[in-house]
Amino acid sequence: MVTELRAARREPAPRAHLAAGRGRSRRARAALAHFGLFGTPGLLVYGCFVLAPVALSFWYSLTNYNPFNPHTHFVGLDNYRTLLHDQEFLTSLRVTTVLTVILVIVPNAAGLGIALLLNRKGWFYNAWRGVFFVPMVLSSVVVSIVWTRLLADEGAVNQTLGWIGAAPVGWLSDPSLALYSVAAIMAWQMLGFCVVVYLAGLQSVPDELYEAASIDGATAFSRFRHVTWPLLAPALTINTVVLLISAFKAYDHIQVITNGGPGSGTTATVAFLTLQTGFIANHQGYASAMAVVMLLIVATASAVVLRLLQRREVDL
Amino acid sequence: MPRTRTTAAVLLALSMAAPLSACSVGGESSSSPGGDKNAQEITFLTFETPNLPPSYWDAAIKRITAKYPDIKVKKLVSPSADRTAYAKQLRASGQLPDVMIAVSPSGFAEAGDLYAWQPGELKDFLVPDGGAINGKVYQLPTNTQTIPDVYYRKSMFAAAGITTPPRTYAELLADCARLKAEGTTPFVVGGGKDAFPSVLPLTGTVATDVYRKDPDWMLKRRSGQVKFAAPDFTGALRKVGDLARKGYIDSKMVSLDYAATEQAFLKGKGAMYPMGSWFAAAGDKSPIKNDIGVFAWPTDDGSELLSQYTGGGLDVNARSKHLDAARKFALAFQLDKTNLDASVRSDALFPAIKGYTPPSDMGPVFTETYDLWTRAVKDRTTVKAFAWETGGDALLPGVDAKVFAAAQDVILGRKSPGSAAAYLDTEWKKAS
Repeated sequence: MVTELRAARREPAPRAHLAAGRGRSRRARAALAHFGLFGTPGLLVYGCFVLAPVALSFWYSLTNYNPFNPHTHFVGLDNYRTLLHDQEFLTSLRVTTVLTVILVIVPNAAGLGIALLLNRKGWFYNAWRGVFFVPMVLSSVVVSIVWTRLLADEGAVNQTLGWIGAAPVGWLSDPSLALYSVAAIMAWQMLGFCVVVYLAGLQSVPDELYEAASIDGATAFSRFRHVTWPLLAPALTINTVVLLISAFKAYDHIQVITNGGPGSGTTATVAFLTLQTGFIANHQGYASAMAVVMLLIVATASAVVLRLLQRREVDL
Repeated sequence: MPRTRTTAAVLLALSMAAPLSACSVGGESSSSPGGDKNAQEITFLTFETPNLPPSYWDAAIKRITAKYPDIKVKKLVSPSADRTAYAKQLRASGQLPDVMIAVSPSGFAEAGDLYAWQPGELKDFLVPDGGAINGKVYQLPTNTQTIPDVYYRKSMFAAAGITTPPRTYAELLADCARLKAEGTTPFVVGGGKDAFPSVLPLTGTVATDVYRKDPDWMLKRRSGQVKFAAPDFTGALRKVGDLARKGYIDSKMVSLDYAATEQAFLKGKGAMYPMGSWFAAAGDKSPIKNDIGVFAWPTDDGSELLSQYTGGGLDVNARSKHLDAARKFALAFQLDKTNLDASVRSDALFPAIKGYTPPSDMGPVFTETYDLWTRAVKDRTTVKAFAWETGGDALLPGVDAKVFAAAQDVILGRKSPGSAAAYLDTEWKKAS
């Protein structure tokens, strides 16, 4: 009897499983259709405009491709071997690294400080938020031209220094200063982005946590250290990665402000040198090798930074 | 979850960084843009400078399209003075214009991109083989420019007790010392994002110390018979470095771009301005035009020498869909008397066209510059202008930027003449 009952109970089970299986399969097909409908255009665009050019760049980097000398040969890893001993490329790597360190630290630190000051309600603070964000929405070419005029030897900055009795400074003409001047201009422009991201992060911190900390007797510094700073981790991650990538691909500011000078290589970043090598000297195979090396460096650095910073992110 | 985050992190990093590598290479398409075949629309790459504003180009184009209503012209403007670099970018994306002005044919010609002008089409040109590459002319040899002329402020010279412009290099150094003692910066030499203003003194010293002895020096450099590290060329670099070491060139001015450099001279920031003959146009437009004089970069022994180059005209895309229209437009543009007069007035060009004479009402700076050149041509005391050649005697593609940088390094004291010359040899080898 029990067996019969079990059998009777089990009997419909295969049908139920079958029906459930058919249901899951229908749902999977529907999900796939939805994915195909909405995902394919994006994937196609990404494939055509990002993955395919990257693959092409890698292929060109293994050749001596010069569009003005169409006898293109496969040269294997020769371009990469040459890069290892190319003083100009190594200098551009150093320049890019210095620029990146400055651009990751300065706007991040200044942006956090300003965001903390502006994290209040009222039209005054809203107006100041706008002021700090304006440079971010300006074209980098416009920003570069304006700052080039300001930092010229006879520009407003040196004139102001002159009024207070200080000697004029060769902000853009002194080879030991030019890179830092360009970095300062880029940091100034990126500052607004950092401020906005940190402000968004600050406004997502629940007031209850501050109240609880205050009740526990935490000082302002302790509240920042133990409440604000941990909860700002996602904002720090976004800012750091965006700044890192922006610094590595710095080209337009360099082109407009210094054209890689003064002199040879003082402000030439890897991106700048890549463009010069590819489009001025016509060595596009070699330039592609530079671009691939830069891609690997940026991807690795970004992945490592993301991984490290995301470890300290806290879920509320 | 951690694995998902790691994957997401890597994907995000890759997706943000990937476009970096995608910007380096273009295709090898050779098509030029063109509209309806019957419309005969051609694209024309121009560039703008303080001397050549948009109105100059619009008026010049309109004169030709009025003559040939069957030709429509779409004007393109180079984003910087370096129109050759822009033309290369357009070529990489399959958009090489049908007609281009003052784009160096080197590289384009060898790749078969440019139309080779036939002797019959060049019969009106004074130097029909100007800028030839392997015996063929790809850029109409329309204009001669003298580079550098040394423009100077007569009042500043007088204030320093200098009565006549220097004829020997020793006199030039003595005059610089007097000007400096008066508190006047002897030379205005800029550079900035345009870089080329830094090379003018070097063009002068290479003319007097290298090209004068060996007019085919650049051809020999191309064939590997000579090097930049040779004593003559290093000596030319040393002369420039010495001018800076002695304070006769203010190294801080190197940050000034072309327009700012010109303004610095016109505003009296220095007594002498080594620049191409095109400066005469700006000089004549300035209120101090009667205070500006000009002399050739002095030789050691005081003999006359002037560096010049004839070229700078229009190139035509050999693969243009409207090649006949492009050729017709280019020749008409270059030979039209009103256009030539406008180029003289706006950019102080010396048209190298048979039978052409500049307008009689030109200003004093142009007239003095033009007379200096005609005298040098008559006396056969001209050489080519180093770093300004555009034909088969030009620097290899990309090396001109390295020469500008090396000149800046020497002026700024970052490189000795010897190391700057070695740097140029290294860059030459890379560019070969």
